[in-house]
Amino acid sequence: MSSELAQFFWVFSIAIALVMIAGFYCLLLTYNLIRALIGLELLTKGMTLFIILAGYVTGHTGLAQAMAITLIVIEVVLMVVAVGVVLGIFRHNRSIDARLIRNIKG
Amino acid sequence: MLSLLLLLPLLIVMILNLPLGRFRSLGFWVALVLSLVQAYTVLFAPAALSGNHDVLGRLFSLGLATDNLSRVLLLSISIVTFASLLVGRQTIREEKQRINFANLVLIAMTGMNGTVLLTDLFSLYVFLEVSAVASFILIAMKRDLNALEGAFKYIVLSAVATILMLSSLAVLLLISGSTSFAAVGSAIKAEGRSPLVVFAVAMFLCGLFIKGGLVPFHGWLPGAYSAAPPAVSILLAGIITKVSGIYALIRLATSVLGPSNSINALLMIVGTISILVGALAALGQTDLKRMLAYSSISQVGYIILGLGCGTDLGIAGAIFHLFNHSIFKSLLFVNSAAIEEQLGTTDMSQMGGLGSRMPVTNVTSLIAFLSTAGLPPLSGFWSKLMIVVALWQSSHGGYAVLAVLASVLTLAYLLTMQRRVFFGILTDRWANVQEAGFGITLPATVLALITVGVGVAFPLMFNSFLLPVASFLK
Repeated sequence: MSSELAQFFWVFSIAIALVMIAGFYCLLLTYNLIRALIGLELLTKGMTLFIILAGYVTGHTGLAQAMAITLIVIEVVLMVVAVGVVLGIFRHNRSIDARLIRNIKG
Repeated sequence: MLSLLLLLPLLIVMILNLPLGRFRSLGFWVALVLSLVQAYTVLFAPAALSGNHDVLGRLFSLGLATDNLSRVLLLSISIVTFASLLVGRQTIREEKQRINFANLVLIAMTGMNGTVLLTDLFSLYVFLEVSAVASFILIAMKRDLNALEGAFKYIVLSAVATILMLSSLAVLLLISGSTSFAAVGSAIKAEGRSPLVVFAVAMFLCGLFIKGGLVPFHGWLPGAYSAAPPAVSILLAGIITKVSGIYALIRLATSVLGPSNSINALLMIVGTISILVGALAALGQTDLKRMLAYSSISQVGYIILGLGCGTDLGIAGAIFHLFNHSIFKSLLFVNSAAIEEQLGTTDMSQMGGLGSRMPVTNVTSLIAFLSTAGLPPLSGFWSKLMIVVALWQSSHGGYAVLAVLASVLTLAYLLTMQRRVFFGILTDRWANVQEAGFGITLPATVLALITVGVGVAFPLMFNSFLLPVASFLK
């Protein structure tokens, strides 16, 4: 890794770390189910960026692009299902507060 | 031929979702035939599964490969799918739901077959997600609050698991410039124990522990298993979590990471904790399906313990226990489906004396629980014996003793279950209960016969089949 590339790598990875921290913060602090999903989305986005960065630094940009696109597709499918489940919970509870869905215990 | 295992279920799903009117309900039978064909191919035409030189495989450049381990898994996938489809036919009333169920099972089957056949970490992740998304929808299918809650917990924890695995993938891409098993394996070997490698391996292992429901990460599992519809519980407990967590773990530990003392020690500790916590938690449950879910955690612990042992015998025992577990745990969940279907409840404290009313369920459940607890000559005994002997030989006597003692706990909670549900005096409330329909007793009988048959034929299989399963890994 040349020094210029290394500098680029560190700047980029600090940005990714910030996105990840925001995602974890969002996931851990909220009681709102949609916000929890947004947190997950931020985390996955951070990982997508990390894969793109890894591909760029090692010179495998084609592979990294293919992976990033696949990731985005999978993520969308996952989010559609998750939001569908949240919608189902909303229809039962008239609320998307995570504190109200604690039927299953132990 | 190999690529057909992936492409055929997917193609059928596409065709079934064309506007075909009444023909769409044929989907169930197509799925059933497909599972039988898969079982037949693995058992009687293994030559068709070797090699990757067909036109379709090259067209999609899938990079598939089979070995003995993936063949064992393909067989269990087909058997459990078969049982789950038949039970689904019996227990799902609405025609539309039944069509959806068949479609989702086919998608899950694509995902599982892909997971088992592929030789690339990123493709592994993709197919894990395919089967996971199908199982989220399957769990939430009943649309009551418990099912939605179980599905949501599973979604969140599974998403966290995939994020851990992706972070590891990115690091491995950085190190090796590729994600195929071979390239990653040699890169890890060359790199030795740099912090990056340790980080990547730890992240991937944590992700797989979550997917497989091992103890520090098992929070989602009992809720998801018990809230799902009966047919889905069979599929989930029998095969989906086994393929996406445990198979991937075995593959990673053997083909990618290679022998390593620290990873083996980690696997053994996690396995032992899972065995003990699962068994102790199962003792305290009053709901039948929750108890079986905790029992599942405990049995998965045995598989991981055998894998962590690292010797040929230990790995063979782990793979054999994986197969046996998927058979007898599906059988126990088929029985719980029969009870849920006929009684409308899974609360064990309300039951009693059902053995006289449901003879087939009673006998098959007896076989399944004796096999789970490890009584000879049933299949579960031999796989547990192999694991315990392997532990003893590799001078991990303490773990061996714990494994044997936990087997007594298994016997305790399953005996409690059998006594509460089937033995004793029949209460007036259940005086008119009938045996469940043919769609449930047929898979129960088939699975019970496999459990007994594998156990009795074990001495014949040991040298010719089981030891080669592990030795391919060298």
